[in-house]
Amino acid sequence: MQQRRTLDQIHTNRVLLNGQLDTPKWWAPTVWVLGIIVVAGFVVIGIMVNKGLGVTGLSRPVYWGLFITTFVFWVGISHAGIMISAILRLSQAEWRRPVTRAAELLTVFSLLTALMFPLMHAGRPWRIIYFILPYDFARGIFPNVRSPLIWDPVAISTYLTGSTLFLYVALLPDLGNLRDRTTGWQKAMYTVLALGWRGNPRQWKLQVVGGILLSALMLPIFVSVHSIVSWDFAVTHAVEGWHSTIFAPYFVIGAVHSGVSAVVTMMALMRWLWKWDDFIRPEHFDALARLLIVVATGWLAFTFLELIFAVYGLDAPELALRELQIFQWPWNILFVTFVITGYIIPVGMWLQKRVRSNIALMFWSSLFVNIGMWLERFLIIVPGLARKSPFVYTWEAYRPSGVEWFILFWSLAWVTFLMLLFARFFPLVPLFEQKESQTFGDSIKIGRTTVPAIVREAD
Amino acid sequence: MVSHTAANPAHSIDEHVGHHAHHELPENVEPKVVLNELVATTSAGSTTFKRIAWVLGILSVAGIAGFVGKFIADGGEQTQWGYVAAILAFLYSAMCGAPLVAVAPVLAKANWSRPLTRIAAICSFASVICTIVMIPLMLHLPQLVTQGARRRSIWFEGNDFSPHIWSMVAMLTLILAGLALFYSAAIPDFAAMRDHATGWRQRLGARMARGWIGTSVQWRTTRMRIGMAGTLYFFTFVFVHFVISTDYGMSMVPGWRDAIFPMYHAISSIQAGLAVTVLAIWFARRYLKLEKFLHMDAFWSLSRLMFAFTLLWGYFFISAFIVFWYGRSGSDKMWIDLLIRGPYIWAFLAGAFFIWFSPWWWLIWNAVRRSFNGPAVGSVLILIGLLLDRVRLYVAAWSVDPERIHERFLTVIPETVWPDLWDVLIGIGAVASAVLLVILMTRIVPILSVWDVQQFNLLSKPVDYMRTRVSIIAKPD
Repeated sequence: MQQRRTLDQIHTNRVLLNGQLDTPKWWAPTVWVLGIIVVAGFVVIGIMVNKGLGVTGLSRPVYWGLFITTFVFWVGISHAGIMISAILRLSQAEWRRPVTRAAELLTVFSLLTALMFPLMHAGRPWRIIYFILPYDFARGIFPNVRSPLIWDPVAISTYLTGSTLFLYVALLPDLGNLRDRTTGWQKAMYTVLALGWRGNPRQWKLQVVGGILLSALMLPIFVSVHSIVSWDFAVTHAVEGWHSTIFAPYFVIGAVHSGVSAVVTMMALMRWLWKWDDFIRPEHFDALARLLIVVATGWLAFTFLELIFAVYGLDAPELALRELQIFQWPWNILFVTFVITGYIIPVGMWLQKRVRSNIALMFWSSLFVNIGMWLERFLIIVPGLARKSPFVYTWEAYRPSGVEWFILFWSLAWVTFLMLLFARFFPLVPLFEQKESQTFGDSIKIGRTTVPAIVREAD
Repeated sequence: MVSHTAANPAHSIDEHVGHHAHHELPENVEPKVVLNELVATTSAGSTTFKRIAWVLGILSVAGIAGFVGKFIADGGEQTQWGYVAAILAFLYSAMCGAPLVAVAPVLAKANWSRPLTRIAAICSFASVICTIVMIPLMLHLPQLVTQGARRRSIWFEGNDFSPHIWSMVAMLTLILAGLALFYSAAIPDFAAMRDHATGWRQRLGARMARGWIGTSVQWRTTRMRIGMAGTLYFFTFVFVHFVISTDYGMSMVPGWRDAIFPMYHAISSIQAGLAVTVLAIWFARRYLKLEKFLHMDAFWSLSRLMFAFTLLWGYFFISAFIVFWYGRSGSDKMWIDLLIRGPYIWAFLAGAFFIWFSPWWWLIWNAVRRSFNGPAVGSVLILIGLLLDRVRLYVAAWSVDPERIHERFLTVIPETVWPDLWDVLIGIGAVASAVLLVILMTRIVPILSVWDVQQFNLLSKPVDYMRTRVSIIAKPD
């Protein structure tokens, strides 16, 4: 943290509000291109709903394919927000400040995206309404409340509600700031959204207490969401490779790995696109990379345990599955790619200090992680279903169709589109956090050295 | 940004220290006072210390007698050694988890942990006692090939004695890593003993300090050594948990396949390690009068971590339980019948109450966490819970008839095995000897690291800030 800079409040306001008050030139064409992809995606989804799931590659025995993989992937990405914002806020990590908003935002948009995949996967999405309004108790057609498939939407929608609230509470001071710097309809919009924020001591106290309380409340939800997603698989005894006790923490730590990596990707883009070099600094990437080394190594340990206890029982079907997953074409190439991109390349890079503070290298290494983590989910879900098992006579291998690939690509464009739209109206780096970090930044002279320091309140 | 110059009295923040503190903040202590008082702890309370050491010594001898008696009474009966396995797992989990407190917060630059790194590192010496307890268990551990067939284990096609060999190798590596962690951080304090103690302590300090005079190179090397020894200790610690939990627990029960179990074991060990550290600093503060150095901040931070790990215990337990509960296969039901609602339901209920439920609802209150006695009470609850939890797991595992080892899953749940006199003596003796080792170590080197306490004071300054009182904490790279 030796590279801390002194930035005055006027400079902070001017630079961090450049997305709202002075929209960059690249913004409109980019949003147009993404918008076209998004619309095309909705058209494809509409066609799929109209024609049925026959347009996908899903068939006996693989009924859970690319859609469910991508659902798990986006739920995983959503873990970035609470990891960065809530946990680092509670542990008073100073370097979190410029990162929190982007992480919270990523949580909200990735959850919104994740929720769409089970709807698409259902084939006839309107029937989801029966989950909420069971219509025929007499014939037992109502959701089984003991099933993780029911807990899933409950947990995710709770998480989405909480994350949105969390994002909004942290946004209030910046909304007040924008209200005072805009005119016309924008001023009216910010006035309504700012809820009368004036920045008096009482409001600040409530805002801080609200943030801490929401952080503490969100933590159990954060853990439960991906645990429940993992139990969708783990409680199923019939599919080899799924019935493992380690799945819940394994999914959570994997989600943190991919989510925090996605934040790194996003931070690099934000720094380049909005030229926020004074605010998103190499030391922030360094701190995130250190955190990621720990998280990734923990995740690798869980991966190791998952694999070793899969074969520990020496059950023939389980051994056959692992042979398929690790040694047989094409799964073997996916498995090797998953290990190399999920751990070996990125962590190998992050172990070097010069990589940790090189933004371009951090950007690419974080992309590698998410390629690996997507493959991890694919390798967990599909081979277990695809393996030949008794009384299944369809041996056609699962090949995702063009529709499925396009919808996967669409989801990436959709999240980016939403982020850019948000950035047009709201600051991606919290202004008040930046100013607070300037106030709390200090230094102590020890002998001949001046050491950076921070001010800590007693409670 | 304001630069606080500790050396300049005109601008010194120490001016503010005398003011009435709005909140309880650690006050800085003069370096000379730190040095003299901490060096003096090595010879403080000699008579009381000797009495305590004698009592612990006698209890340790009773433990050895317990081993002899156990060999004579149940020598060839594998199923009767479950309590010894539980004692091994308990002692290892509680004592060897503590040194992580000397590693992890320091790596995360948490200033509050500096005063307690020594006492946490000393706990690693308990691994010597764990190794001694492990020897008779190794003699009763079945080979990988029994009754002409290979039993399930993490060693797959390995040598027949792989569990025996590797568990001992792992434990010996842990002893070495613990020694390295302790010694690399103690060299500056041995130098302090050389320069400020008298008699045999001074001579020992001179020998152990190995010419330490505190040059920049020596400090850099020391920090590097601590980092390396800490990393080695952490990885060995996790590996030993993996080996003990599988070889001395899971693999004894046919059909028990539980991927989360080693991590569950390690998590509860860190929870208990925190509890041991809290109790150690509570005793040090109360009976060695070290109030000046052991602040509320340390208790508060440790109890927050304990609270977090208490919740994690619940999470790791439920992660396994829910999969078995929903799985409903033969082996799933067997796990629940043997380890939850079967012969050890008493240990399960009491263990869950003490290790999870009661510390959860005790440590959840900030007023409890921000006190000296509250975290100590929480620690006692956790350690009782850990003992019961280890009894549930290991006594149940060892009680399984060895003839059934090749079954697909256990079909006959064994009866409850209760501890006999020898088990009790072994348990008391093992704990007493571990504590004895720890307190003996505090006779040769200060119980709190002198240089860490000095560094704590250098890096943390209490100051008045507007209408409140705050600490300025330096974060050196």
